[in-house]
Amino acid sequence: MKSYLSLIPLSAKARKTQNRMTLLCIVFAVFLVTSVFSMADMGVRIERTRLMEKHGALTFQDMIGSTMAQTLFLTAAVLFLLVLTAGVFMISGTINTHVAQRTKFFGMMRCIGMSKEQIIRFVRLEALYWCKTAVPAGVILGIVLTWGLCAALRFLVGEEFSDIPLFGISITGIISGVAVGVITVLLAAGSPAKRAAKVSPVTAVSGNSETPQKPRHAVNTHSFRIETALGIHHAVSAKKNLVLLTGSFALSIILFLSFSVLIDFVGCLMPQSSSTADISISSSDGANSIDKELLDTMRGMEGIRRVFGRRSILDVPSAMEGINGSSITIDMISYDEFELKCLSKDDMLKKGSDVASVYGNSNYVLATWDQDSSLKIGDKIWIKSEELEIAGLLKYDPFSSDGLTNGKITLITSGDTFTRLTGITDYSLLMAQTTNDITDEEITAVSNIADENGTFSDKRGERTAGTYRAFVFCVYGFLSVITLVAVLNIINSISMSVSARMKQYGAMRAVGMDAHQVTKMIVAEALTYAATGCIAGCTMGLLISKWLYDILITAHFSYAVWNVPVASLLGILLFVLATVIVAVYAPSKRMRHMEITEIINEL
Amino acid sequence: MNLLKVRNLCKTYGSGETAVRALKKVSFSVPKGEYVAIVGESGSGKSTLLNMIGALDIPTSGKVAIGGKDIFSMNDRELTIFRRRNIGFIFQAFHLVPELTVEQNIIFPVLLDYQKPDKKYLEELLTVLNLQERRNHLPSQLSGGQQQRVAIGRALITRPSLILADEPTGNLDTRNSSDVIALLKKASVQYEQTIIMITHSRSIAQTADRVLRVSDGVLTDLGRCRE
Repeated sequence: MKSYLSLIPLSAKARKTQNRMTLLCIVFAVFLVTSVFSMADMGVRIERTRLMEKHGALTFQDMIGSTMAQTLFLTAAVLFLLVLTAGVFMISGTINTHVAQRTKFFGMMRCIGMSKEQIIRFVRLEALYWCKTAVPAGVILGIVLTWGLCAALRFLVGEEFSDIPLFGISITGIISGVAVGVITVLLAAGSPAKRAAKVSPVTAVSGNSETPQKPRHAVNTHSFRIETALGIHHAVSAKKNLVLLTGSFALSIILFLSFSVLIDFVGCLMPQSSSTADISISSSDGANSIDKELLDTMRGMEGIRRVFGRRSILDVPSAMEGINGSSITIDMISYDEFELKCLSKDDMLKKGSDVASVYGNSNYVLATWDQDSSLKIGDKIWIKSEELEIAGLLKYDPFSSDGLTNGKITLITSGDTFTRLTGITDYSLLMAQTTNDITDEEITAVSNIADENGTFSDKRGERTAGTYRAFVFCVYGFLSVITLVAVLNIINSISMSVSARMKQYGAMRAVGMDAHQVTKMIVAEALTYAATGCIAGCTMGLLISKWLYDILITAHFSYAVWNVPVASLLGILLFVLATVIVAVYAPSKRMRHMEITEIINEL
Repeated sequence: MNLLKVRNLCKTYGSGETAVRALKKVSFSVPKGEYVAIVGESGSGKSTLLNMIGALDIPTSGKVAIGGKDIFSMNDRELTIFRRRNIGFIFQAFHLVPELTVEQNIIFPVLLDYQKPDKKYLEELLTVLNLQERRNHLPSQLSGGQQQRVAIGRALITRPSLILADEPTGNLDTRNSSDVIALLKKASVQYEQTIIMITHSRSIAQTADRVLRVSDGVLTDLGRCRE
């Protein structure tokens, strides 16, 4: 041994199993940042190629000025900060566990002459020693994931990603990954190192080394039953642990709520509809001049999966309830049953809408809507003395480029209702969804019959479902990894807390606490962490979600309004409860099977 | 009338060649209100015997009956409740709950039973144990002697018929030791409780009504000391 620091690799080898959690946390942090920055870099490379093709040459200003490059790196930087914070929380938690489990060791080191500064240096270098294997592992995993994602984007999604490099190595990604690994470890090791340095030499010989900190306040036994009160107290009394675990829970929730907004944002950029047409035939004169028989003809053609059509009529004179005597003009568009069903399926309708009543020949219609619109469900409109009732409202106006109605009332009726009201049976627009294996000849055949009736458009190249799915997949992939680390951290912390109090629990069992009460005590502790994390995470997450929604979505898509994501919150609640169950299961099982005599007879 | 009956109690740890017979067919009875000391060398099986009587451990064979009830015929939950209500434990290392005050530690078994403590009896115990002034203190704010008095209070709060003490003076100085023993004896007389106490101290053993010796897992009744 050259110096006392030579102990580090020996200690790491001896405590391989205990170190696994810390190593995993570092690997995850490095892996996430490497892949995020690598993917951002790959995105920038696509943008560079695009700009090169456009301008012939590329200046630095062109790249800097590129909105896409700016957005990509800004997103990566935000993710970098989030992962850095999550990493510090997680790694700090696990290093704290190591220090707490080894107070006797540090006491012994102090006994035999190690100074406080040397202890601090020892803990920091020990943490950095983990980086030796964890950082390269994280970087390699990050690069491999980037390759996988690039391949998926290139071959599965195609479209704008068809030029993405396949086996690209991003220096930015690697540097960011290494930096996040080293920075998080150094930041995370700071507090545990100081804690280790504070260990008194006497703990090595007194046998009190693993006793949890002396409590300062007594348990409140008036509000809860004793086991619940003790469980809550165990969680609340260890302030640092409470902050770390609350932070860990909260961060996962914040990330989830923030990323959900990003998914909504991409949803607005690339609206996904079940009724998106692959090919369409529109009337050349804008009137309903496409023969209705063409729909049946197309339906029977090879390669056509589904055909549906629209009829439309603009500026129809009508009267509306509440607007006395003054006539208004409205636009009316008919939807086939399939498109009406898709409105519900794609969640395009406002709450309270009843699309079922619109089907067939009825007096019910749907209407487009935006925030400035005064239309309500139940409003009545008269067209040619026929009374129509608005049975539902769309969340925005799909017929305008900005989603706003601009004061115009547009009604959506069923085909039958439209024909009854207007007498029109032919179509203004025919749309079709094709099978995946449709051939060029089959497309040409459709195009040929279309040319006689209207203008044919092939929109298969505009499909964005793949891109959207790839984005959602990536986002939820990252979220799953971060969440997994948080869950592992919580399981580890609960287990550690129980291990530290084994003797106390043994004594409680001896004086009459039953196994069920011990489990309840551990559940109360875990639930306290979960509840504080949930409250902090949901509060901050909702604020961030609203802010992100306003700047990313409402600012560009003014019809979109932020709503409290109730389903997400319920999902979070269920997830948190599931985590508590998982975290509590193993320690409570251990406590149920513990030998009381073995525990209390230990010195 | 015998409160405690131990019949042919055996405890073997391990199996085969590594088997250790900690208790070998131990049989004895203790009448209600008697104060019994168990002596013996370290590793002789004293604590094992006490743990069996207190239903903290399961014997390999044999029976233990407290108040006529075979304690090992009960399931774990019933046994825990029986222990909570009928047996008081005092440990050498006190084993108080560090987050609970003196008063909360004393009433702990009552709280585990979801009952309200008898306030008059609690005050009486705090007075007898001389802990009135310390009732709101945490264990970390007490001396070793005071902590052991709290443990005695916890053992007495449910008015158990049997108190088991495993070297209750092991961590105390001479003065505190005699205080604790005096308190235990007083309780035994005042509340008519049976006390079984392990001790290494010859002088403390001499204060008991009867002394049992355990040597290599075999129990010998040394008879009544105070006669």
